Amino acid sequence: MQKRFTELSFIIGSFFLIASLILLIGYFTSSLLHADLNMYAGIAFLIFGLMMILLTPKTKKVN
Amino acid sequence: MKLHFADYLIIIVYFAFVITVGFVIKRKIKSSNDFLSSGRNIPLWITSLAFISANLGAQEVLGMVASGAKYGIMTVHFYWVGAIFAMVFLAVFMMPFYYGSKARSVPDYLSMRFDEKTRGLNAVSFAVMTVFSSGISLYALAKLLEVILHWDFDVSIWLAAGIVMIYTFLGGLTSAVYNEVLQFFLIVLGLSPLVVVALHDAGGWSTIKANLAPQLTHAWKYMGKADENPMGINFMSLIFGLGFVMSFGYWCTDFLVVQRAMIARNMGDAQRTPVVAALPKMLMPLIVVLPGVIAIALMQPALQSKGYSIPTNASGQLDYTMTLPSLIAHYYPSGLLGVGITALIASFMSGMAGNVTAFNSVFTYDIYQSYFVKHKSDKHYLWVGKFVTVAGILISIATAYVAKSFNNINDFLQLVFSFVNGPLFATFLLGMFWKRTTSNGAFFGLLAGTIAAALTHGLTIAEGKGGWIAPMFEIKSGMGQAFIVASVSWIANFCTTIIVSLFTKPKPDEALKGLVYSLTEKPKYHEQKWYLRVAPLAILLLVITIILNLIFF
Repeated sequence: MQKRFTELSFIIGSFFLIASLILLIGYFTSSLLHADLNMYAGIAFLIFGLMMILLTPKTKKVN
Repeated sequence: MKLHFADYLIIIVYFAFVITVGFVIKRKIKSSNDFLSSGRNIPLWITSLAFISANLGAQEVLGMVASGAKYGIMTVHFYWVGAIFAMVFLAVFMMPFYYGSKARSVPDYLSMRFDEKTRGLNAVSFAVMTVFSSGISLYALAKLLEVILHWDFDVSIWLAAGIVMIYTFLGGLTSAVYNEVLQFFLIVLGLSPLVVVALHDAGGWSTIKANLAPQLTHAWKYMGKADENPMGINFMSLIFGLGFVMSFGYWCTDFLVVQRAMIARNMGDAQRTPVVAALPKMLMPLIVVLPGVIAIALMQPALQSKGYSIPTNASGQLDYTMTLPSLIAHYYPSGLLGVGITALIASFMSGMAGNVTAFNSVFTYDIYQSYFVKHKSDKHYLWVGKFVTVAGILISIATAYVAKSFNNINDFLQLVFSFVNGPLFATFLLGMFWKRTTSNGAFFGLLAGTIAAALTHGLTIAEGKGGWIAPMFEIKSGMGQAFIVASVSWIANFCTTIIVSLFTKPKPDEALKGLVYSLTEKPKYHEQKWYLRVAPLAILLLVITIILNLIFF
C-alpha cells in the first residue's frame, strides 16, 4: 500500500483531488467563491484526480 | 489582483506536494547515477511529459501568450513548423546516438565523437547558460509576483528558490522530472478554463476572425513578403531560421530537454519519448497562443464592452508580457485564481529546476569529473552533485539580483544564449552524419558560428536592439532578427566545419562506431506492432502537423 502512495500518478491525482475539494467546498460555503467557473473547474479536477488515483497500479509486478 | 484564503491554500498545497515528491524520491537515491541521471529507469509517460514540461517554463508560457497577442496566430509556427519536426528528427535519427553511445550528457557525446576541447567548450557554455537562465526565470517570477500581487521581491526569490532547492537536493533529477509532470498537468488544467471562458466571452473563433486584421488570424497566407505580416519575415527566413536552425538547434542539442529522453528505460522508450511528447506539444498553442490572440481581439472596438485590456508600460505601450496575468485577473474568480497563479509559479519553478538539474549533471560529469577530480568513489560524485545543486541555486539567486539592478542583462544574456545555441546544430548534424568531420573542424566551426552570430547582431537593428557595431540593416521585429542571426551563425559553423575538416585528419572508422550514422547498426523494429515503432508514429505526427498548418493557412 505504501508503494502506491509513492507512485507519481497517485501524487498527481491527490493534488487535483485536494484542489477540487477546496474549489467545491468554497463554492458551497463562501459567497466569495460562489462562481460557476469554480464549480465546473472543481468537478473537472475531481474527475481527473480520481481517474489518476484509480489508474495507479496497486502492486508492482514481480518477475 | 487580490488573493483570498482559498487561493493561498491552493498555493500552499502545491508547495507541500512538490516538497513531498522530493522526500519520496530521496529514498531511491543510492548513487551519483541515480541523482544525476535517474539511473535510466523512468517510465515512458513520465519521460515524455517531462520532455515538454522542461520547455514549459515561464519564458514559454508568458512569452508565447505575449507573442500570440503581438504576432497573432503566426506564433503557432514555433510548434507546427519548429518543435514537431525537430522532435521527430531527434527521435528517429539522433536518439540512437545519444542513447546508444551510453553518453551521460550531450557534452559527453561530443567528447566521444570529437575530443575534450569540443566537450569543454560546450560544457562550460551550457553550464553558464543554464545557471543564468535559471536566475532570470527566478527574477521574472519575483518581478511578476511583485507587480500583480504586491508580494515582496526578496521573499518571492528566496521562497521559490528554497523550494526548488529542497526537492532537487533531496531527489536530484528524478525529483525534478516527477515535479515537471505535476507542473505540466497543473499548467494545462489550470489554464484551460481561461481559454474556454475567454473564447466564449469573445464570441468564439468566428467573431475573433471577424474583428482582427487577417494578418493576425492566418499562419501562412501573408508570409510571401516580409512587410505584409506582423513578424516582418518571409516564409524562407521562417522555415530556415526558425523551422530548421533554431528549432533543431534547441530540441536536438539542448541537454536540458534531451536529458529527459536519455533517462528512459531502453532505446525504444528513449526514441518514443520525443514522439509521444510531440502529441501534447502539438496542442499547446490552444493553451499558450490562443489566449494572446483572444486578448488582442477583446481590445478591438466591437468587443471593448467586455472591459478587458492588456496593461500598458511606463511609456504607454502595450506590455504584452502581462497579457496572461491580466487575463487570469480578469476572468478567474477567487479559488480558481489561486489555481491560475499556482500554474504560473509552477511554470517558473519547472524552468528553474530543469536548468539546475541539467547544470549539475554537466558540471559534475563534464567539468568536475573530466578535468579536475577523475578517480574518486561514487559517493564522492554523489555529494559533489548535491553540492553543485545548492551552488547552482545560489548563483541563480545572485543572477536574479543582478538582473534586478541591470534591466538590460536579461536581453544581453538571452542574446548570448542565441549566439551559443544557434550554430550548435551544425556541429551535431555534421558530426553524426558525415564521418569525415574532424575534432578541429567541430571546434573551430563552433567558434566561427558564435562570432558570426555576434557580428550579425552588431550589424542589424530591430525594435531598437542590436546594431552595436553599425546599424546597417533594419529588421521589423526582434523575432525576425533572432531568426536571421541564428541562420547566419549556422551557415558560418557549417561551412567552417567542412573546410577545416577537409584539411585535418579524421578519426579512424573503428573509433566512430555507434557515433556516426553510416558506421552504426540501425535499430530493428520489425518485431514490434506498428504503433510502437518510431517511424510510423513519426509519419502520423507529421501528417497531422501538416493538416493543422493547412487549417490555419
